[in-house]
Amino acid sequence: MLVDFEVIKRAQAGDSAAFNEIVLAYRKRILGIVMRAIARPEDVEDVAQEVFLRLYFSLDQLRTAEVFEPWLYRLTVNAAYDYLRKQKRRQEYRMSDLSEQQVLLADATAGGKAERDEQYNKKIRESVDALLGAVSEADRILLMLKEVEGLSLKELEKVYKVNENALKVRLFRARQRVLKAYGEAGKGKAPAKSGE
Amino acid sequence: MNPMRGSDDEKLDALFRAFGECPVPEPSVNFMPTLWGRIESRQSFTFSFRRMANAFVTAALALSVALGVYMSMPRSNQSYYSQTYVEALAEANSLDAPDIVGPVTGR
Repeated sequence: MLVDFEVIKRAQAGDSAAFNEIVLAYRKRILGIVMRAIARPEDVEDVAQEVFLRLYFSLDQLRTAEVFEPWLYRLTVNAAYDYLRKQKRRQEYRMSDLSEQQVLLADATAGGKAERDEQYNKKIRESVDALLGAVSEADRILLMLKEVEGLSLKELEKVYKVNENALKVRLFRARQRVLKAYGEAGKGKAPAKSGE
Repeated sequence: MNPMRGSDDEKLDALFRAFGECPVPEPSVNFMPTLWGRIESRQSFTFSFRRMANAFVTAALALSVALGVYMSMPRSNQSYYSQTYVEALAEANSLDAPDIVGPVTGR
């Protein structure tokens, strides 16, 4: 926990200073999750603000301060999901680029952690964004939380309120689709888009 | 071991790791003011909506009370309804068609 339970309780009681404290403590983390979920730097702040806006108006529904973090993650997941749905972007997979990026990544890793400048990061973001286009918006966020954010299955269970086995199945299937897309990208072949 | 030389699984893990290491943009200086601006604007919208809803409920309640009072007021021609339809019909047509109500006899 980045803030005390007491701060959360004060914010629930309508204390603006306590709410500010929560935002300041969590905004970097939320920005990170949103950034990785939507892979659009220009919209990250807007979506993160939407998360805190939802937090502000639903704090009174939080039963205990102990479940605050999974609950905040849930709000973040929902906001990112809504954004992705709204965008309806599912950009065309730039698979020829992706193959190039794989080579780039290979070079970078083989070369003993070459400097990651902005161009490189952009390429990585675009590669992952394109690969995650092979799964639904919901699975994309789930996969990102597990694979990139490193949330455990127990933590994901609390966020999604779904049992662990169901999550494992969803994660496995999503990863298989992404792997297939990755393999096809390596061969320069565009993958078939999978359903929800 | 070089992850790029491994299976697709390992390569994908390496890609995800690299993605996780990408720097996250710093929140802008306007982050908090914009957030509070959005909160206040939604609050004022909710407040206006609530006020409108309250006004509507009050008006509906007043109308119900008024209708209730109106319906409970005694009517001057209430006696007109003290008879049933059959009674009123019989009274109106007492001599017109006596056969209709008589017993049916065989020929």
